[in-house]
Amino acid sequence: MSSWRALLLRIGDKCAEYGGSNDFKEHIEMCYTALLREIDHARDEILSLIVQCAEQLPHKIPFYATLVGLLNLESDEFAKQVVEDTQLYLQDALDSEDCDKIRILMRFSTALICSKVLQPASLVVLFETFLSSAATTVDEETGNPSWQPRADFYVTCILSCLPWGGAELIEQVPEEIERVMVGIEAYLSIRKHVYDTGFSVFDFDDESDKSLDVKDFLEDLWDRIKVLSNNGWKVDSVPRPHLSFEAQLVSGTSYDFGPISCPEQPEPPSTLSGIACGKQKHEAELKYPRRIRRLNIFPANKLEDIQPIDRFIVEEYLLDVLLFFNGCRKECATYMVGLPVPFRYEYLMAETVFSQLLLLPQPRFKPIYYTLVIIDLCKALPGAFPAVVAAAVRALFDRISELDMECRIRLILWFSHHLSNFQFFWPWEEWAYVLDLPKWAPQRVFVQEVLEREVRLSYWDKIKQSIENASELESLLPPKIGYNFKYTVEAGGERTEEQLLSVDLGSMVKGRVMAREVISWIDEKIIPVHGLKIALEVTVQTLLDIGSKSFTHLITVLERYGQVISKLCPDQDKQVMLIEEVSSYWKNSSQMTAITIDRMMGYRLLSNLAIVSWVFSPANIEQFHTSDRPWEILRNAVNKTYNRISDLRKEILSLKKSVLSAEFSTKKAQEELEAAETKLTLLDGEPVLGDNPVRMNRLKLQTEKTKEEEVSVRDSFEAKEALLARAISENEALFISLYKSFSDVLKERLPPASIDGNVRSLHYDQIDTMAVDSEEPSAMEVDRDNGRPKKSRVNGARLSNGYSLGEKEQWCLSTLGYVKTFSRQYATEIWTHMERLDAEVFTEDVHPLFRKVVYNGLRRQIQEV
Amino acid sequence: MASLFKDPNKLSAYRDRKFPGSQDEFEHALQTSMTVYVGNMSFYTTEEQVYELFTRAGEIKKIIMGLDKNTKTPCGFCFILYYSRDDAEDSVKYISGTILDDRPIRVDFDWGFQEGRQWGRGRSGGQVRDEYRTDYDPGRGGYGKLVQKELEAQRQLVDYGTGSLGSFQQFMPSHYGGRGGDHGHGGAHRQNNRDFNRKNTDYHRKRHRDDDRRPPPEKSRRFDNESRRPADHESRPEKNPRFRESGDSDEEDDDDRKRRP
Repeated sequence: MSSWRALLLRIGDKCAEYGGSNDFKEHIEMCYTALLREIDHARDEILSLIVQCAEQLPHKIPFYATLVGLLNLESDEFAKQVVEDTQLYLQDALDSEDCDKIRILMRFSTALICSKVLQPASLVVLFETFLSSAATTVDEETGNPSWQPRADFYVTCILSCLPWGGAELIEQVPEEIERVMVGIEAYLSIRKHVYDTGFSVFDFDDESDKSLDVKDFLEDLWDRIKVLSNNGWKVDSVPRPHLSFEAQLVSGTSYDFGPISCPEQPEPPSTLSGIACGKQKHEAELKYPRRIRRLNIFPANKLEDIQPIDRFIVEEYLLDVLLFFNGCRKECATYMVGLPVPFRYEYLMAETVFSQLLLLPQPRFKPIYYTLVIIDLCKALPGAFPAVVAAAVRALFDRISELDMECRIRLILWFSHHLSNFQFFWPWEEWAYVLDLPKWAPQRVFVQEVLEREVRLSYWDKIKQSIENASELESLLPPKIGYNFKYTVEAGGERTEEQLLSVDLGSMVKGRVMAREVISWIDEKIIPVHGLKIALEVTVQTLLDIGSKSFTHLITVLERYGQVISKLCPDQDKQVMLIEEVSSYWKNSSQMTAITIDRMMGYRLLSNLAIVSWVFSPANIEQFHTSDRPWEILRNAVNKTYNRISDLRKEILSLKKSVLSAEFSTKKAQEELEAAETKLTLLDGEPVLGDNPVRMNRLKLQTEKTKEEEVSVRDSFEAKEALLARAISENEALFISLYKSFSDVLKERLPPASIDGNVRSLHYDQIDTMAVDSEEPSAMEVDRDNGRPKKSRVNGARLSNGYSLGEKEQWCLSTLGYVKTFSRQYATEIWTHMERLDAEVFTEDVHPLFRKVVYNGLRRQIQEV
Repeated sequence: MASLFKDPNKLSAYRDRKFPGSQDEFEHALQTSMTVYVGNMSFYTTEEQVYELFTRAGEIKKIIMGLDKNTKTPCGFCFILYYSRDDAEDSVKYISGTILDDRPIRVDFDWGFQEGRQWGRGRSGGQVRDEYRTDYDPGRGGYGKLVQKELEAQRQLVDYGTGSLGSFQQFMPSHYGGRGGDHGHGGAHRQNNRDFNRKNTDYHRKRHRDDDRRPPPEKSRRFDNESRRPADHESRPEKNPRFRESGDSDEEDDDDRKRRP
């Protein structure tokens, strides 16, 4: 006999605890019997575990609610307590803006109505509270429309409850629900349609004429709910275990929620400037992010034939399992493949997991988590899932030129890692044709970058072997040997002066000569004779060669002789030369180039500005569309700068707490001392002021000590704040330099904008004339013309291999893609510097297409301009 | 997140007997550590491979390869130091049990690297687990050390002669055994082909193993910082921040005062 805990956890699962039974009614009866036996002495434990289970296993909420309903028949107090707790937690969640909790507790409340524990009227009141908060928010006059993401979230929550109790609600409170539906419709008519161009996985989707008809998330859910309502609220994917116990449940007492309120609107900015509103909107979007952006990669005939609402529900289930079982591999995979639905959903599951891997701006967890999930699903469903994954890869590969740049990188990293877990097996011959494409064709670049990452995870010969069935692809492999030392000494050959110097330096390093002495040797022996350039080349190349054996060797050399390098490269120009040497030494290894530059930045031998300047040097610009190499270095540099800021913010937050607690201790010690000082003590029979001397002494010491501590904590707090201020200004400089560089290179290469401000640029072949949509509203006009390659889809049919973009066009598209990526990923930081960026970079003469892409990435209104 | 199924306080079943402290201190060290231990690696896996994989969980501060204390060559484990606890947690959650270099690796929290811990603790210089193994594991030097010795002894009893038996020899376990060079390279060895290739042509992606020319950098100097302050260096502010803050080197001293008033 399993414990009640195990039964509660495992209810609804096909598992040993329930003897492998699939009969949900049996599960509930068994579990209920076990709980009943314990309820008298373990009431609180049961209560708290049921609520926890509901919160963390939300796909099983109907079971937990039914159990509460049954327990309600035995013990009035129990169910009453569940309702009270739920209300309390919901209010907390609303106040702390915990989206997952709000959503799940709403669903639990709905299920409690089905099991006759909660009064339907309570839920209706809650819906109306949400609706009125939402409607107020989007009101232009009295509300704060920048916070529409929160309003949308509230309404989404209402709609999301309906599949779990729509039938019951309609039956019990038809008029009220009708009123709520009308309210939602009214809300939909006053809110703004969400265009998040720039957050879609496929650029094509929202740039095309189609994007006008595309529903945003809330509109889409509304449609699904309408279909559901027309179907008489019948849902296949929601178990309804309460129905088996209806006869008993009706005799239970139902309870009411106490009042629940939504938090107040955040005040709109005092000046209604575009920037201020944009910042608020950005903040709201961060707080109320989208959980999923549906990825439609499989043809309709592949997807499981299910009702629109079932798709939404299965997605919810999967996302919740991914959320709550992050870190529990076994349970995660088991629950993912064992959802309580009566249909197959492998394709839907793949689309959902991939939609998370590719979710913009950020997935909920690091992409590597989804890699693991996909691996585990392949193992859990060995007969079905690997083929679905392969189909997803093919589908994404076919559309790679429409894929967002950030998504391409994630896909490359995922795919190489995935293959490394499956013996690097892939039918590469399918993709051998990419060799016939120009070297900038996205599919070819994708194959090349996947192979590059595979080699990094493994080794050259192994990967060469893995592409044996398409050996011509070998030409896309990175070079086998990475290093490229300028001063290699051939045995017996003549030695140049530089080689001799390099040998000398090498033996100095071997002899553990101090950095100081190396510096003076360079100052005395090299610079006066050969000049600074040679000194820099010889020193850097030689040190790199000494550190070339491994990551650790590199670190050791940099730690010991970093000063030598920093003496030689004190300013940006020299640092660019330094990177040039690194890049030349490691020209055959992107990984080591990136690692070396990254470490040098860590030791502050390189500034991030020097890195930006080098990335935008002519030789690199030429690679923007053909290789990830410069971008990886740029990403690292921006990321490192950003990580430093996040670290400091975290440290400051915890120091702030320490300051407060130190202040408190000081105050307490001070008070104790004062109290003791004013106390009258009998000394030799005479009353004197002050406590006994021993205690007085101790208290004085104590007070001094706490004061010192307070000062010390405060000092380090201030020191960190100063560091943060510096880091933020470094970041500001970085983004200004980054955007200026982008703007300049794009201006040189983008076709000029037409006089009316529209971008008549990057127009491609015949398709454009076919895609013209005469009815587009003017707001979208700019979007229309940004020139995504429309060739790949003609009248809905795809020409899979028909890549026909010119080099210059692809260069522009790739570079713009990265502009969007950086803007989107660092939007929070960028928004804080927007005033300066507007003044210095996004001025009137910036190229409109560049501006548009930046604004898309930041979700900034283009109309403001 | 899923507190229902996993006890978040239970971090590792493995108790390092060299840990200088109580069980509680050990657990605290694991709870706060930004270092992970990686086990069941191939002897041939390089730092760069480790870097490429583990950097996907977060920025890496340092990698310390575990070395055979006799041969000074990798012996199948390493320590990775991250800059943040979250990243270390993610690497344990997402990388443990996945494949690196064709092997399922194990990733656990570690209580913090100290000088000396990079050496194998087995009698023969490598890891203890490689002493007694009886299986044949080409990624970890073939048979376990004891089995190897036994096979070696047997081999000396039987004289196979040379040359003509070359093709036969490759199926003789004893020849795979000594990766340390005691049996020579034996170019015909199937399992060693990969290593053989890497050795000759891939020098720069290579490991310390055939690092005769350049011994690994002096550990004692490199890890000064750690060895001076044992046990608690993980909970301390990073010694090697993502960025060196030039001109404010007293930053860390500040922290020292703050943390240990």
